[in-house]
Amino acid sequence: MATAPERLPYYQIREDLFRPLSRVSLRYMLATSIAFIVGAAGLVAWSVQLRRGMGVTGLHRPVFWGFYIVDFVFWIGISHAGTLISAILRLTDAAWRKPVTRAAEAITVFALMIGGMFPIIHLGRAWRFYWLLPYPNSRLIWPNFRSPLLWDLTAIATYVTGSVIYLYLPLIPDMAQLAQHNTPWRRRLYRALSLGWTGSDREWHALERAMKLMACIILAVAVSVHTVVAWDFAMSIAPMWHSTIFGPYFVTGAIFSGIAALVLALAIIRKVLHLEVYLTKHHFNRLAKLLLLMSLLWCYFTLAENLTVWYGNEPKEMAVFGARTRAHYAPYFWTMMFLNFVVPFVLLGIRRLRTVAGATVASVSVLIGMWLERFVIVVPTLTNPRLPSASSFYTPTWIEVAITAATFAAMAMLYMIFVKLFPIVAVWEFKPHPQEDD
Amino acid sequence: MYLIGEFREKAAAAAAIRSLRAGGAAPADLDVFSEEPVEFPRGVLDRPSRMSLVSVSGAILFGTLATAFVWWTQHDYKVVTGGMPIFSFWATGVITYEMTMLGAIVATFGWFLWESGLLRKRDRSAPVPQVDPGSLCLRVRCRGDEAAQAIDAMRGAGAVDVQRRGEA
Repeated sequence: MATAPERLPYYQIREDLFRPLSRVSLRYMLATSIAFIVGAAGLVAWSVQLRRGMGVTGLHRPVFWGFYIVDFVFWIGISHAGTLISAILRLTDAAWRKPVTRAAEAITVFALMIGGMFPIIHLGRAWRFYWLLPYPNSRLIWPNFRSPLLWDLTAIATYVTGSVIYLYLPLIPDMAQLAQHNTPWRRRLYRALSLGWTGSDREWHALERAMKLMACIILAVAVSVHTVVAWDFAMSIAPMWHSTIFGPYFVTGAIFSGIAALVLALAIIRKVLHLEVYLTKHHFNRLAKLLLLMSLLWCYFTLAENLTVWYGNEPKEMAVFGARTRAHYAPYFWTMMFLNFVVPFVLLGIRRLRTVAGATVASVSVLIGMWLERFVIVVPTLTNPRLPSASSFYTPTWIEVAITAATFAAMAMLYMIFVKLFPIVAVWEFKPHPQEDD
Repeated sequence: MYLIGEFREKAAAAAAIRSLRAGGAAPADLDVFSEEPVEFPRGVLDRPSRMSLVSVSGAILFGTLATAFVWWTQHDYKVVTGGMPIFSFWATGVITYEMTMLGAIVATFGWFLWESGLLRKRDRSAPVPQVDPGSLCLRVRCRGDEAAQAIDAMRGAGAVDVQRRGEA
């Protein structure tokens, strides 16, 4: 069944979806400037860390992983918004996906770029990053391919490559269109990026085949990436990390936070770019149901993980369990439960509250909750190691807070720039097919 | 030379293609231009593809090369493993898996560029029609003496306009 926007005249679709590219409002400039300033503050903080060393952070023995790894896991999770959701909807031929997919795919690419920076920031000596790469070096040694951290590098590199291509492929026809009607520098940009696309049936066939294949491949990669991120933890024998369900638990959490990020991005795009006709309440209703489903699934995994530990009553694990649920980190844990389960359950479970606003509020709640979830997984285990005398606390410094805030600003800024350079909804997917109007 | 026929209906374009092919035109001489993907019934203008095969081949190639490389590096600089194997497939399986997937991605994208003609332009002199939204253009490459028959075939099938362009 055709959705409402497909019944609009083509010129109006093109006008509506290309219009945001040519207008830069004062509010847009202001928002970009704020994001830039916050991002610049993060760069200043990083430069301080580079000059003075990792001692300026709150990281210390035995808490070697703090905000940076929390942010890393969080952003890699957010990246599951796009490619995974878009691939599933594309493979199942869900008609309602059309205005949603590109916004989602862009989130993936930017979140991966940001998330992928954290291992480098966390290295301390960021300029030694290339030591991770397998190249013939003067020391005649190779990276340890058995290390989960090198698995991360490989998985994220593959995911970034796949996601960029997956975003780029359906952009080609739109960029060919844009190359015909635009300012000179934009014409040159779109002409170069559209690779001389003419709209021939050979090109369309190849594009459709490539998109279907890429959707299959990217699904397998996306699942593997967050499983590998989970294995960074699970392959160690640290209390409450060495768990067989960490892989699916992390993948579920990633999709959960990814959908929340997508709903939030779509709500902002809809409001700011006036795309109410294309991003209807039905889209939000469907995404809200998906979010509710993932909330229930996430809650099930959380229960399974914690109940098993509690029932096992193993002293080292109970120390972490106690820190999470009853002691120092209990406020984080219970706030996480409230934000990730109670809020979405109420706002999305009750039909009357499942509106665009309700879904947006639930999404913000889930995003905060999922960041806390990463914190609750990473920090309490490190502060309660197997050697009780090494127990400690972790308090982040302004450096870590500034860098974390900068990543959110960077995400906003990259997204705003993308929206001004490329149509956030795939125009060609809305065009009426010849003789198919009826 | 080239003929370009404009059609408002997909069925008319399909009928024109059938008629032209019955008259001896090869699928390689026919191109349909549109602003959106258009699917014709099977047998009208099929474009066989090897993309799946190439994708799988790329995956196998990258996966094999990655495994071989890891095996070589681990034997090139032997780490003390305390009696455990120097090379363990399970411990490096993630690397093999991710490189296999990367191979599939790179091969798919590369083959897309090749098969679509974006990378190897078949004929730079071939005219590219300006397509109005909601319509289709059929480009036919033919000899001068075949043009009249092809024009008749397109008009007969329902082309709203047929133009001659360029030389063969």
